[in-house]
Amino acid sequence: MKDLCSSTSKLLEKYFDQEVTDKERLLVEGHLKDCSACQSALMSMEELRTLIKNPVEEAVQKENFPWVWQKIEREIRLQEKRTWWQALRSWLDVTPLFKKKVWIPAVATVVVLLFITAQIFFKKIPSYSEASVVEYVESETNNVMVYDLEKAKVTVIWLFEEPEEESATS
Amino acid sequence: MAIRGAGGGICHIMRRIALLLIIFFIFSFFTLSAASAQVQVRMRVIQASNVGQSIDPSLKELHDELKTLFSFTSYRLLREENLNLSIDQPFSISVHKGKTSLETTLVGQHKNVAELRMRVNREGTDILNTQVRLSPGRTVLVGGPKHGEGVIIYALTARF
Repeated sequence: MKDLCSSTSKLLEKYFDQEVTDKERLLVEGHLKDCSACQSALMSMEELRTLIKNPVEEAVQKENFPWVWQKIEREIRLQEKRTWWQALRSWLDVTPLFKKKVWIPAVATVVVLLFITAQIFFKKIPSYSEASVVEYVESETNNVMVYDLEKAKVTVIWLFEEPEEESATS
Repeated sequence: MAIRGAGGGICHIMRRIALLLIIFFIFSFFTLSAASAQVQVRMRVIQASNVGQSIDPSLKELHDELKTLFSFTSYRLLREENLNLSIDQPFSISVHKGKTSLETTLVGQHKNVAELRMRVNREGTDILNTQVRLSPGRTVLVGGPKHGEGVIIYALTARF
Protein backbone atom coordinates (compact mmCIF):
# COMPACT_ATOMS: atom_id res chain seq x y z
CA MET A 1 0.00 0.00 0.00
CA LYS A 2 2.82 2.31 0.91
CA ASP A 3 4.57 1.62 -2.42
CA LEU A 4 1.30 2.18 -4.28
CA CYS A 5 0.72 5.44 -2.37
CA SER A 6 4.24 6.60 -3.24
CA SER A 7 3.79 5.81 -6.95
CA THR A 8 0.28 7.32 -7.03
CA SER A 9 1.34 10.52 -5.31
CA LYS A 10 3.73 11.09 -8.23
CA LEU A 11 0.74 10.94 -10.55
CA LEU A 12 -1.40 13.06 -8.27
CA GLU A 13 -0.15 16.41 -9.63
CA LYS A 14 -0.64 15.23 -13.20
CA TYR A 15 -4.11 14.00 -12.23
CA PHE A 16 -4.88 17.36 -10.65
CA ASP A 17 -3.81 19.13 -13.84
CA GLN A 18 -5.81 16.63 -15.92
CA GLU A 19 -2.75 15.49 -17.75
CA VAL A 20 -2.99 11.77 -16.97
CA THR A 21 -3.90 8.99 -19.38
CA ASP A 22 -7.15 7.04 -18.91
CA LYS A 23 -5.22 4.16 -17.42
CA GLU A 24 -3.43 6.44 -14.97
CA ARG A 25 -6.67 8.21 -14.08
CA LEU A 26 -8.36 4.89 -13.19
CA LEU A 27 -5.37 3.93 -11.14
CA VAL A 28 -5.35 7.23 -9.20
CA GLU A 29 -9.11 7.30 -8.67
CA GLY A 30 -9.03 3.66 -7.40
CA HIS A 31 -6.27 4.54 -4.99
CA LEU A 32 -7.93 7.73 -3.78
CA LYS A 33 -10.99 5.75 -2.61
CA ASP A 34 -8.87 3.97 -0.01
CA CYS A 35 -6.04 6.46 0.73
CA SER A 36 -6.91 9.34 3.04
CA ALA A 37 -3.35 10.77 2.79
CA CYS A 38 -3.65 11.14 -0.99
CA GLN A 39 -7.18 12.54 -0.62
CA SER A 40 -5.78 15.10 1.78
CA ALA A 41 -2.94 15.92 -0.65
CA LEU A 42 -5.43 16.43 -3.48
CA MET A 43 -7.58 18.70 -1.31
CA SER A 44 -4.51 20.73 -0.40
CA MET A 45 -3.78 21.21 -4.08
CA GLU A 46 -7.32 22.44 -4.71
CA GLU A 47 -7.15 24.84 -1.78
CA LEU A 48 -3.83 26.17 -3.03
CA ARG A 49 -5.24 26.70 -6.49
CA THR A 50 -8.22 28.57 -5.10
CA LEU A 51 -5.89 30.62 -2.96
CA ILE A 52 -3.85 31.72 -5.98
CA LYS A 53 -6.61 31.91 -8.59
CA ASN A 54 -8.98 34.31 -6.83
CA PRO A 55 -6.56 37.19 -6.24
CA VAL A 56 -5.16 36.84 -9.76
CA GLU A 57 -8.62 36.99 -11.30
CA GLU A 58 -9.51 40.00 -9.17
CA ALA A 59 -6.30 41.74 -10.25
CA VAL A 60 -6.99 40.96 -13.91
CA GLN A 61 -10.49 42.46 -13.63
CA LYS A 62 -9.05 45.62 -12.13
CA GLU A 63 -6.42 46.04 -14.82
CA ASN A 64 -7.07 48.01 -18.02
CA PHE A 65 -5.98 45.90 -20.91
CA PRO A 66 -7.41 47.75 -23.95
CA TRP A 67 -4.09 49.44 -24.66
CA VAL A 68 -2.31 46.14 -24.62
CA TRP A 69 -4.97 44.65 -26.82
CA GLN A 70 -4.75 47.57 -29.23
CA LYS A 71 -1.03 47.07 -29.51
CA ILE A 72 -1.54 43.38 -30.16
CA GLU A 73 -4.19 44.15 -32.78
CA ARG A 74 -1.90 46.69 -34.42
CA GLU A 75 0.88 44.16 -34.61
CA ILE A 76 -1.52 41.59 -36.06
CA ARG A 77 -2.73 44.10 -38.62
CA LEU A 78 0.86 44.86 -39.56
CA GLN A 79 1.31 41.21 -40.39
CA GLU A 80 -1.71 41.29 -42.67
CA LYS A 81 -1.41 42.61 -46.16
CA ARG A 82 -3.44 45.82 -46.34
CA THR A 83 -4.43 48.21 -49.08
CA TRP A 84 -2.99 51.71 -48.99
CA TRP A 85 -6.39 53.07 -48.03
CA GLN A 86 -6.67 50.71 -45.05
CA ALA A 87 -3.14 51.59 -44.04
CA LEU A 88 -3.94 55.29 -44.23
CA ARG A 89 -7.14 54.88 -42.21
CA SER A 90 -5.32 52.89 -39.60
CA TRP A 91 -2.57 55.50 -39.51
CA LEU A 92 -5.05 58.31 -39.09
CA ASP A 93 -7.06 56.49 -36.45
CA VAL A 94 -6.89 58.69 -33.40
CA THR A 95 -9.94 57.28 -31.59
CA PRO A 96 -7.88 56.08 -28.60
CA LEU A 97 -6.87 59.69 -28.17
CA PHE A 98 -10.43 60.75 -27.44
CA LYS A 99 -10.26 58.76 -24.24
CA LYS A 100 -7.52 61.12 -23.06
CA LYS A 101 -7.38 64.90 -22.92
CA VAL A 102 -4.00 65.30 -24.57
CA TRP A 103 -5.63 66.14 -27.92
CA ILE A 104 -7.09 69.42 -26.66
CA PRO A 105 -3.93 71.56 -27.15
CA ALA A 106 -3.27 69.88 -30.51
CA VAL A 107 -6.78 70.61 -31.77
CA ALA A 108 -6.58 74.17 -30.44
CA THR A 109 -3.32 74.72 -32.35
CA VAL A 110 -4.81 73.35 -35.56
CA VAL A 111 -7.89 75.56 -35.18
CA VAL A 112 -5.74 78.66 -34.67
CA LEU A 113 -3.61 77.81 -37.70
CA LEU A 114 -6.70 77.17 -39.81
CA PHE A 115 -8.11 80.50 -38.73
CA ILE A 116 -4.90 82.26 -39.78
CA THR A 117 -4.61 80.52 -43.14
CA ALA A 118 -8.33 80.90 -43.89
CA GLN A 119 -7.75 84.65 -44.06
CA ILE A 120 -5.42 84.04 -46.97
CA PHE A 121 -7.68 81.54 -48.72
CA PHE A 122 -10.85 83.54 -48.39
CA LYS A 123 -9.34 86.92 -48.98
CA LYS A 124 -11.68 88.88 -51.17
CA ILE A 125 -10.19 89.04 -54.61
CA PRO A 126 -11.27 92.08 -56.56
CA SER A 127 -12.30 91.49 -60.11
CA TYR A 128 -10.70 93.64 -62.71
CA SER A 129 -12.01 94.46 -66.07
CA GLU A 130 -9.70 94.46 -69.02
CA ALA A 131 -10.75 98.03 -69.80
CA SER A 132 -9.29 99.57 -66.66
CA VAL A 133 -5.59 99.02 -67.19
CA VAL A 134 -4.52 102.37 -65.82
CA GLU A 135 -5.60 102.87 -62.22
CA TYR A 136 -4.26 106.38 -62.01
CA VAL A 137 -1.76 108.63 -63.73
CA GLU A 138 -0.48 111.97 -62.55
CA SER A 139 2.20 114.48 -63.40
CA GLU A 140 2.76 117.79 -61.69
CA THR A 141 5.03 119.08 -64.44
CA ASN A 142 3.62 117.83 -67.73
CA ASN A 143 0.48 116.89 -69.57
CA VAL A 144 -0.25 113.20 -69.81
CA MET A 145 -2.32 111.21 -72.28
CA VAL A 146 -3.59 107.65 -71.87
CA TYR A 147 -4.50 105.68 -74.94
CA ASP A 148 -5.68 102.10 -75.27
CA LEU A 149 -5.22 100.02 -78.36
CA GLU A 150 -7.63 97.27 -77.39
CA LYS A 151 -7.18 95.15 -80.47
CA ALA A 152 -3.45 94.82 -79.88
CA LYS A 153 -3.81 94.89 -76.07
CA VAL A 154 -1.49 97.85 -75.79
CA THR A 155 -1.92 100.77 -73.41
CA VAL A 156 0.06 103.95 -73.92
CA ILE A 157 0.83 106.49 -71.22
CA TRP A 158 2.39 109.45 -72.93
CA LEU A 159 4.11 112.33 -71.21
CA PHE A 160 4.19 115.62 -73.13
CA GLU A 161 7.28 117.52 -72.19
CA GLU A 162 7.34 121.34 -72.36
CA PRO A 163 9.00 122.87 -75.45
CA GLU A 164 11.67 124.73 -73.41
CA GLU A 165 12.58 121.50 -71.56
CA GLU A 166 12.71 119.76 -74.90
CA SER A 167 15.24 122.26 -76.22
CA ALA A 168 17.23 122.00 -73.00
CA THR A 169 17.52 118.23 -73.13
CA SER A 170 17.98 117.69 -76.83
CA MET B 1 1.98 46.81 -17.49
CA ALA B 2 -1.25 48.58 -18.36
CA ILE B 3 0.27 52.01 -17.53
CA ARG B 4 3.29 51.33 -19.71
CA GLY B 5 1.02 50.30 -22.57
CA ALA B 6 -1.15 53.41 -22.30
CA GLY B 7 1.89 55.69 -22.27
CA GLY B 8 3.27 54.02 -25.35
CA GLY B 9 -0.06 54.45 -27.14
CA ILE B 10 -0.24 58.16 -26.32
CA CYS B 11 3.33 58.66 -27.48
CA HIS B 12 2.50 56.89 -30.73
CA ILE B 13 -0.50 59.13 -31.36
CA MET B 14 1.39 62.24 -30.30
CA ARG B 15 4.05 61.36 -32.86
CA ARG B 16 1.37 61.12 -35.53
CA ILE B 17 -0.12 64.45 -34.51
CA ALA B 18 3.34 66.01 -34.56
CA LEU B 19 3.86 64.67 -38.07
CA LEU B 20 0.46 65.97 -39.19
CA LEU B 21 1.30 69.37 -37.73
CA ILE B 22 4.61 69.40 -39.59
CA ILE B 23 2.77 68.59 -42.83
CA PHE B 24 0.30 71.36 -42.03
CA PHE B 25 3.12 73.83 -41.39
CA ILE B 26 4.80 72.89 -44.66
CA PHE B 27 1.48 73.32 -46.47
CA SER B 28 0.97 76.72 -44.81
CA PHE B 29 4.49 77.74 -45.76
CA PHE B 30 3.85 76.96 -49.41
CA THR B 31 0.50 78.73 -49.27
CA LEU B 32 2.12 81.84 -47.85
CA SER B 33 4.90 81.57 -50.41
CA ALA B 34 2.32 81.40 -53.17
CA ALA B 35 0.59 84.43 -51.69
CA SER B 36 3.82 86.41 -51.90
CA ALA B 37 4.81 85.09 -55.33
CA GLN B 38 6.93 87.00 -57.75
CA VAL B 39 5.91 88.35 -61.11
CA GLN B 40 8.23 88.34 -64.04
CA VAL B 41 8.08 91.53 -66.02
CA ARG B 42 9.82 92.05 -69.31
CA MET B 43 10.94 95.63 -69.63
CA ARG B 44 12.33 97.16 -72.78
CA VAL B 45 13.72 100.66 -72.97
CA ILE B 46 13.31 102.02 -76.49
CA GLN B 47 14.62 105.22 -78.00
CA ALA B 48 12.24 106.54 -80.62
CA SER B 49 13.32 109.35 -82.90
CA ASN B 50 12.99 110.74 -86.37
CA VAL B 51 16.69 110.37 -87.08
CA GLY B 52 17.13 107.58 -89.58
CA GLN B 53 14.70 104.92 -90.72
CA SER B 54 15.80 101.87 -88.81
CA ILE B 55 13.80 99.66 -86.49
CA ASP B 56 15.74 97.44 -84.14
CA PRO B 57 15.23 93.77 -85.16
CA SER B 58 14.66 92.83 -81.51
CA LEU B 59 11.56 95.05 -81.55
CA LYS B 60 10.01 93.04 -84.37
CA GLU B 61 7.04 91.90 -82.27
CA LEU B 62 6.24 95.50 -81.27
CA HIS B 63 6.82 96.90 -84.73
CA ASP B 64 3.16 96.98 -85.81
CA GLU B 65 1.98 98.60 -82.58
CA LEU B 66 4.74 101.21 -82.66
CA LYS B 67 3.96 102.01 -86.27
CA THR B 68 0.24 102.34 -85.54
CA LEU B 69 0.64 104.45 -82.42
CA PHE B 70 3.56 106.77 -83.19
CA SER B 71 4.99 108.68 -86.11
CA PHE B 72 8.66 108.11 -85.32
CA THR B 73 10.82 106.71 -88.05
CA SER B 74 13.49 105.04 -85.94
CA TYR B 75 13.21 102.73 -82.93
CA ARG B 76 16.28 101.50 -81.07
CA LEU B 77 16.34 99.11 -78.15
CA LEU B 78 18.53 100.67 -75.48
CA ARG B 79 18.06 98.08 -72.78
CA GLU B 80 16.08 94.98 -72.01
CA GLU B 81 15.52 93.51 -68.55
CA ASN B 82 13.56 90.54 -67.27
CA LEU B 83 12.59 91.60 -63.80
CA ASN B 84 11.45 89.28 -61.03
CA LEU B 85 9.38 91.72 -59.05
CA SER B 86 8.32 91.00 -55.50
CA ILE B 87 5.64 92.91 -53.63
CA ASP B 88 6.88 96.35 -52.55
CA GLN B 89 10.39 95.73 -53.84
CA PRO B 90 11.10 98.61 -56.26
CA PHE B 91 13.34 98.16 -59.26
CA SER B 92 14.92 101.15 -60.94
CA ILE B 93 16.24 101.36 -64.45
CA SER B 94 18.18 104.40 -65.64
CA VAL B 95 19.08 105.81 -69.04
CA HIS B 96 20.56 109.01 -70.29
CA LYS B 97 23.57 108.70 -67.92
CA GLY B 98 21.25 108.29 -64.95
CA LYS B 99 19.32 111.49 -65.62
CA THR B 100 16.09 109.69 -66.36
CA SER B 101 14.98 106.64 -64.44
CA LEU B 102 11.90 104.49 -64.19
CA GLU B 103 11.15 102.89 -60.84
CA THR B 104 8.77 99.96 -61.04
CA THR B 105 7.16 98.40 -57.96
CA LEU B 106 4.83 95.46 -57.79
CA VAL B 107 2.07 96.55 -55.45
CA GLY B 108 -0.30 93.63 -55.85
CA GLN B 109 -1.01 90.43 -57.65
CA HIS B 110 -4.44 88.88 -58.09
CA LYS B 111 -4.64 85.74 -60.18
CA ASN B 112 -3.31 86.79 -63.58
CA VAL B 113 -3.20 90.49 -62.94
CA ALA B 114 -0.14 92.29 -61.65
CA GLU B 115 -0.51 95.76 -60.26
CA LEU B 116 2.52 97.90 -60.99
CA ARG B 117 3.32 101.35 -59.72
CA MET B 118 5.69 103.30 -61.96
CA ARG B 119 7.53 106.48 -61.26
CA VAL B 120 9.49 108.33 -63.96
CA ASN B 121 12.13 110.55 -62.45
CA ARG B 122 14.11 113.22 -64.26
CA GLU B 123 17.10 114.67 -62.41
CA GLY B 124 15.61 114.09 -58.98
CA THR B 125 12.07 115.22 -59.85
CA ASP B 126 9.15 112.88 -60.41
CA ILE B 127 7.69 113.77 -63.76
CA LEU B 128 5.18 110.93 -63.95
CA ASN B 129 3.43 108.71 -61.41
CA THR B 130 1.11 105.97 -62.52
CA GLN B 131 -0.32 102.65 -61.47
CA VAL B 132 -1.33 100.04 -64.01
CA ARG B 133 -2.72 96.52 -64.11
CA LEU B 134 -0.87 94.12 -66.32
CA SER B 135 -2.68 91.04 -67.52
CA PRO B 136 -1.31 88.27 -69.75
CA GLY B 137 -0.60 89.46 -73.26
CA ARG B 138 -0.99 93.13 -72.44
CA THR B 139 1.79 95.64 -73.02
CA VAL B 140 1.98 99.01 -71.35
CA LEU B 141 4.05 101.67 -73.06
CA VAL B 142 5.19 104.58 -70.94
CA GLY B 143 6.75 107.17 -73.20
CA GLY B 144 7.51 110.79 -73.73
CA PRO B 145 10.60 111.70 -71.68
CA LYS B 146 13.16 113.32 -73.96
CA HIS B 147 16.29 111.39 -74.71
CA GLY B 148 18.86 112.78 -77.09
CA GLU B 149 17.19 113.56 -80.37
CA GLY B 150 14.15 111.50 -79.56
CA VAL B 151 12.12 110.16 -76.67
CA ILE B 152 12.21 107.16 -74.39
CA ILE B 153 9.49 104.55 -74.47
CA TYR B 154 9.36 101.96 -71.70
CA ALA B 155 7.55 98.80 -72.81
CA LEU B 156 6.35 96.53 -70.00
CA THR B 157 4.89 93.07 -70.39
CA ALA B 158 4.07 90.69 -67.53
CA ARG B 159 4.71 86.97 -67.65
CA PHE B 160 2.65 84.64 -65.45
